[in-house]
Amino acid sequence: MFGNKLEVSMYRYNPEQDEFPYMKKYKIEKPSKDIMVLDLLHLLKEEDESISYRRSCREGVCGSDGMNINGKNGLACITPISSVVKKNKIELRPLPGLPVIRDLVVDMTEFYAQYEKIKPFLQNDTTAPEQERLQSPEDRDKLDGLYECILCACCSTSCPSFWWNPDKFVGPAALLQAYRFLADSRDLETVERLEALSDPFSVYRCHGIMNCVSVCPKGLNPNKAIGEIKSMLLKNKKNIITSDGAHQ
Amino acid sequence: MKGSLIWYAQRYSSILIFIYVAYIFYFLFSFNGQISYFDWTMFILSFEMKAFTSLISLLIILHSFIGLWTVGTDYLTKRTLGFLNKSVATNANIIRNAYYFLFVVMGILYLIAILYIIWL
Repeated sequence: MFGNKLEVSMYRYNPEQDEFPYMKKYKIEKPSKDIMVLDLLHLLKEEDESISYRRSCREGVCGSDGMNINGKNGLACITPISSVVKKNKIELRPLPGLPVIRDLVVDMTEFYAQYEKIKPFLQNDTTAPEQERLQSPEDRDKLDGLYECILCACCSTSCPSFWWNPDKFVGPAALLQAYRFLADSRDLETVERLEALSDPFSVYRCHGIMNCVSVCPKGLNPNKAIGEIKSMLLKNKKNIITSDGAHQ
Repeated sequence: MKGSLIWYAQRYSSILIFIYVAYIFYFLFSFNGQISYFDWTMFILSFEMKAFTSLISLLIILHSFIGLWTVGTDYLTKRTLGFLNKSVATNANIIRNAYYFLFVVMGILYLIAILYIIWL
């Protein structure tokens, strides 16, 4: 299927040893069956123990192993090599735009700082009911396509606007989560959340490039969520929630 | 400044610029190729068209300013220039402010020139 040998070109950088990062080529025997990129990394690590990468659940749930595979961000654990190998070659790089700690491991501080900024938790200061805050099936449906995000950072690190302004532009992943709480009928801080996003950078720096939609391993659409936030910002904020807290 | 204000300014200015261009083309094509220099002069030098052209010139500058400001805040930052050269990156703020100064001056000169041609 892939010839005799598979050539893997991998980004290598150990700040304790290397002055600059470099690409290292590995040649390994072709796998007898179609395996995931993460499995390929395990095979390489058996050959070279110095290779560093993050992984945890190995089934596309934890979001640890986001990386740039042949130029496109994705999760190594759910990306079959048959879908990315071209001419028996595969190139692995860390997620773009974030500082590299070592090899394929990036520093996610800027990414999480933006996530923290949108206050990713339910805000409702009314008296809590005995069991749980209920919502109608219709209101619950509004959260579909939003809550499934695993924060792998594939979308934000494929976004040029996030590359250039990671300290100011919230980025597609965090904006998807921002809308997840804006759309939640139980959250009552809609006006304050919108106020926090109303500057020229936080949301409006999104130019609809759509890389986020193209790479999301969960098939989500951050660009649509950003569009919804822009629509909410452009409306009169006072009309967004009524006095009883219900969203219009 | 609110991001929505900039968003509206960019969209509405582009709509008005489009209407201006469409209106001129409508005028030109309404003559079926038989337009004379006199017809054109009477049209473009009418008070309404002078005012409309002046407004559109201002909107073109506003629209350009927003676009160029976006480019400057994307590509002329310490981070982005750092990809090219570290010493260039340390002067990113100076470079960006010089860039802003340049296109503000160009915008003002353009507006003065246009208003001079139209009204004097």
